[in-house]
Amino acid sequence: MIIEILKLLIIPGIFFLFTLALFYQWLDRRFLARLQNRRGPMHTGSHGTLQPLADFIKLLAKEDIEPEAVDKPVFRGVPILLSTISITALFFIPIWGVKAFVHFEGDLIFMTFLMTLIAILAFLGGWSSTNRFSTIGGLRAAMQTLGYEVPLSLAFIGPAIVAKSLSISKIVEWQASTGIWAIILNPLGFGIAIIALLAELEKVPFDLPEAETELVAGWQTEFSGRKLALLRFAFDLELVLAAGLITSLFLGGPAGPFYNIPWVGVIWFFIKTTIVVLILSNLRGLFARFRIDQMVSGCWKYLVPLAIIQIIFLQLVLG
Amino acid sequence: MDIIKWARIKSPWVFHFNAGGCNGCDIEVLASLIPRYDIERFGMILRGSPRHADVMLLTGTVTRQIKDRLIRIYEQMAEPKFVMAIGSCAMSGGVFQNCYSVYEGADKVIPVDVYVPGCPPRPQAIIDGAVKLLQKLAAGK
Ligand code: SF4
Repeated sequence: MIIEILKLLIIPGIFFLFTLALFYQWLDRRFLARLQNRRGPMHTGSHGTLQPLADFIKLLAKEDIEPEAVDKPVFRGVPILLSTISITALFFIPIWGVKAFVHFEGDLIFMTFLMTLIAILAFLGGWSSTNRFSTIGGLRAAMQTLGYEVPLSLAFIGPAIVAKSLSISKIVEWQASTGIWAIILNPLGFGIAIIALLAELEKVPFDLPEAETELVAGWQTEFSGRKLALLRFAFDLELVLAAGLITSLFLGGPAGPFYNIPWVGVIWFFIKTTIVVLILSNLRGLFARFRIDQMVSGCWKYLVPLAIIQIIFLQLVLG
Repeated sequence: MDIIKWARIKSPWVFHFNAGGCNGCDIEVLASLIPRYDIERFGMILRGSPRHADVMLLTGTVTRQIKDRLIRIYEQMAEPKFVMAIGSCAMSGGVFQNCYSVYEGADKVIPVDVYVPGCPPRPQAIIDGAVKLLQKLAAGK
């Protein structure tokens, strides 16, 4: 019992995930800055590694403003729910071995459900702020979900078909035992998942819900202090979640040479997620923002047919 | 307490408010974000919303018309908040001094922490002003 609680709090648990989330935020910022020929954070810790921590602590210590017009229960609940849901979702990702901390048959479906919840919470956050910018941002977040949710789920089905299981841990186990990464059979699915997760993360080509040149800060406009700290933390966790999901479903998770020895699996996981995060930031540096109609129609016109072609291809190959 | 102070010094997020200048200062503020000067090195990020920001970069003359809006935006920022008056206009009214509609300096309307002289000030001067603000913070408000 005590060991379980310690596990939950420290090693595959909250403390580890917190560190990982802050680290990936730093990596993302630094890499994007280098792509733009800038330096990025430099003076907080060695090469700015402590920058995300400084941001987090500063926001926690700032005044927390609640405008009079907001819908208080929802407005207070959204940041807390967002971060807890992201942490919960991360427990389904196998990090320390081929088995995740929590796993059951069908947790892949549960994962897509959690990701939809995250998008709906963004909408609720915008709506409860009763600010015109937040409202439009929230509506866009909901609209965007209509676009990327279907291709994302279809892309997740690919590895599930290959491994004949709907459990993330089972898919990873299958990849580890056969030595075949699902990306070999799912190249299209991999690309689609990356694009759809960019939209889920509200990163640059799809950062419509918080487009700062049009909407001030989108659905986050009215959040300040502690709430904003939790929101940003939730987004960092989501980045880990996105990278972790892609790694587990397509790149074999912690599988790699000698992954059975303790600590080696986590190193493989770390290397692979780092590569995925770099791909995500690279796309962020490459593209400019789409319009909301381009985004939704593009998802339905190109991503959904491609995802279906991917599944047909899988059925033909696996026969 | 000290760790909060450390965090505050290391991550001053800025937002930009033009009270009615000629846009010269605004271009220079933007120039301090570009690769050549890159104030993100000090952890400063440009935020859109005053609710997220710690430092207001105030440029341009404060006119009678903008006064109420300026105060409102200032009040929307979360404590602790700081104001940098950038350019002669924000400092003293600049070339528009003695004009009937112009306040002689932003400090007649809201508290100002750091003044950056120049018309417009160079990005280096803006960064210098920011560093002065951080030093002031480090020395204890
Ligand atoms: S200080 Fe000079 S450059 Fe800046 S807004 Fe005033 S007139 Fe324009």
